[in-house]
Amino acid sequence: MSLVMDRASAQHGLRAGAIVLVVFGLFVLLGLAGIGFGSTWISLDKVLHVIFGGGEKSERLVVLQLRTPRVMAAAIAGAAIAFSGYLLQRITRNELASPGVLGVVDGAALGVVLFLALYSNESNALTVPVAWQPLAAATGALAAITLVFILSGRQASSAIRLILFGIAVAAVAKALTTIFMLIGPIYQAAQAARWLAGSVNAIGWSEIQIMAWALLPVTAIAGLLARELPPADLDDVSSRSIGLNLPVYRVAVFAVAALLTAIAVAFVGGVGFIGLIAPHLARLLVGRARFAGIVTSMMLGAMMLVGADLLVRVAFAPTEVPAGTVTAIVGAPYFLFLLMRKDKTNG
Amino acid sequence: MAELAPSRIEVRDLTLMYGHDTVLDALSLPVPAGKVTVLAGPNGCGKSTLLRAIRRLHQGQRGQILLDGVDIGALGAKDLARQIGLLAQSPSAPPDMSVEELVRLGRYPHQAMLQPWSEKDGAAVNRAMVGTGVDTLKHRRIGSLSGGQLQRAWIAMVLAQETDIICLDEPVNHLDMAHQLDCLDLVAKLNREAGRTIVLVLHDLNLAARYADQLVFVHEGRVRALGRPEELMTPELLAEVFEVDAAIMTDPVHGRPICIPRGRAKAKSVREIA
Repeated sequence: MSLVMDRASAQHGLRAGAIVLVVFGLFVLLGLAGIGFGSTWISLDKVLHVIFGGGEKSERLVVLQLRTPRVMAAAIAGAAIAFSGYLLQRITRNELASPGVLGVVDGAALGVVLFLALYSNESNALTVPVAWQPLAAATGALAAITLVFILSGRQASSAIRLILFGIAVAAVAKALTTIFMLIGPIYQAAQAARWLAGSVNAIGWSEIQIMAWALLPVTAIAGLLARELPPADLDDVSSRSIGLNLPVYRVAVFAVAALLTAIAVAFVGGVGFIGLIAPHLARLLVGRARFAGIVTSMMLGAMMLVGADLLVRVAFAPTEVPAGTVTAIVGAPYFLFLLMRKDKTNG
Repeated sequence: MAELAPSRIEVRDLTLMYGHDTVLDALSLPVPAGKVTVLAGPNGCGKSTLLRAIRRLHQGQRGQILLDGVDIGALGAKDLARQIGLLAQSPSAPPDMSVEELVRLGRYPHQAMLQPWSEKDGAAVNRAMVGTGVDTLKHRRIGSLSGGQLQRAWIAMVLAQETDIICLDEPVNHLDMAHQLDCLDLVAKLNREAGRTIVLVLHDLNLAARYADQLVFVHEGRVRALGRPEELMTPELLAEVFEVDAAIMTDPVHGRPICIPRGRAKAKSVREIA
C-alpha cells in the first residue's frame, strides 16, 4: 500500500519537474521569437547565429542593441513581479492577492511621478541620474504597503482586509498620480504616462544592468524567506505555536515582495496583473511544490511580459502600444473570473 | 485542594484586555508536571485565551508565565515551540496540503537555516503518524479527510513537535462520540506512557471529570476553583460557574463524578419564587 503511495508521490514530483522543463522550453522559444519578430523579421537561425557571435552587422545591431534588451528587460521584470505575486499569495493565503491589488504598483507609480516632477528640468532631462528612479518607485511602493498594513492594524492577518485596504490605498495613489500629472508641466505628463502604461521599448543594456543588480540581492533574500513559507501556510495560532515569528515574518515577506515589484515596475512601468495570474497558473500546473512553484511562476511571468511586448510590436506596429495594456486586457477578466469562482465556492 | 506535583508551568497574575474588556483578570494557575489539567468554564470565560496566553501568543498580555521557574518571555519563538505544543481550536491548513506535509511542519522548531531534514525528524514524524493512526493517510490531502481523520492529523502534527507539554484547545469539538474517546484516550496514553504534561480545554464536563487529574473552573477571567474532579463537581460550584442546576453522581464504570443537569440554575430560582 505505502509502496504504491510513495510511487504516486514520486510520480507527482516527476510531473512537476516535467512541467517546469516544458515551461522553460516554451520560455526560450518565446524569447527567441521576441528577438526575431519586429519591423523586420529575422529568422531564428540568424538570431541564434548572432547570439553565438556571428551574423551581419545590421542584424547584430538589431538583435543585440534593439531587441534583445527589450526581451531581457521584459523577462527579468516579468519574473520579478511574478515572484512578488507568488510570495503575496502564499503569505496572505489568498489567490486574489497580488502586488497590484495590494497597492504596490500604484504606490510605485506615485513615487515615479513625484520623482519626475521634482527632478526634471525644462528641457525634459533629469537633473539626477536615472538610476534613482527605481529608488523612487521602491519608496512609493513601500510607503503604500506600509500604509495598507497600518490601516489594517490588528486585522492585518485577515487577507480580505488587507486586500480591501490595498485597493483603497491604490485608488488614492492613482488619484494623486493623476493630480500630479495634471498640475505638472506637460513634458512630465507625457514621460509619466508612458511609464504608467508599462512598456519595455526604450530600455537599454545599462538600465537592464541596474535592474538586474538591484533585483539580485532582493531575489536572494526572497528565496531565503520562501523557505519559511510552509509553516506560514497554517492559521496564525498554529504557525506561531510551531515557532514561526509570524508578525515579523509577514512584514518581511511583504517588504521583499513590495521591493521586487517596485524595482521591476520602476523600469518597465505599471504592468498589471502579471503578479496575479502567473503564480495562480503556476499553482494550477505544479501544485504546492515550493521550488517548482516559484520557478514556474517566474518563467510564466517572464513569458507574459515578453509575449505582451511581442504582441504589441506585431499587432500594432508602427504605433508603440504599451505592453501593459495587453497584460491588463488579458488580466482584468481573469481577475473577475477568480472573484466569481471564489464567490461560488464561498456561498 | 490537593498538591498534585511540582508545577511545570506557573501562571502568575496574568491579565489581558481586549480594548476595555478584561478577558483575563490577574489569573494565577499552577500546571502540575506529568498530569492532565483540564480547563472548563462557560463560553467566553477566557479558557481558550488562557491556553494561548500560556503559549505567549497574545500581544499585551501582562503577568508572568514561568516554565520550570523561568519566565517564558526570555525564550525565543522556536525554543518555546520545542517545549510547549499547542493545537488551536479550529486550526486550518491549505486543503491541498498532504497529511505528511502537515505532520512534518511539527518539526519546524527543531530545524535551523543550515540544518537539513534529519533522520531524527523523519523518525519523529513517523512515530507521530503511527501513534495517531494517520500513517495510512499520509498522502491524502487535508481537504479530503473526514472530521475525525483531520483532527488526528493535527494531533500528529503537534506530537511530531515532541514537546514535554501539550496544550489542546477543545480537541473533541465536532467529533462523534467514538472519535471523542479515541482522541482523549490517545491524549491520556501520551500522559501515562510518555509522561507528557497535558493541558486541555474541554466543554463537556463529564469528559473533563473523566480525564482530568486537575480540573480548573475558569469564570469571568479568573480561576474560580481548581482541584481533583471530585472536589470540583459539586452542585454549588456548577450553579455558580455554569449556571446549571445539576445532580452529581458517580460514574459506575470509571468511578469519576458525572453531572446530570436538571435545568438552568436561574430557572430554578424563578420557579421557587412562583
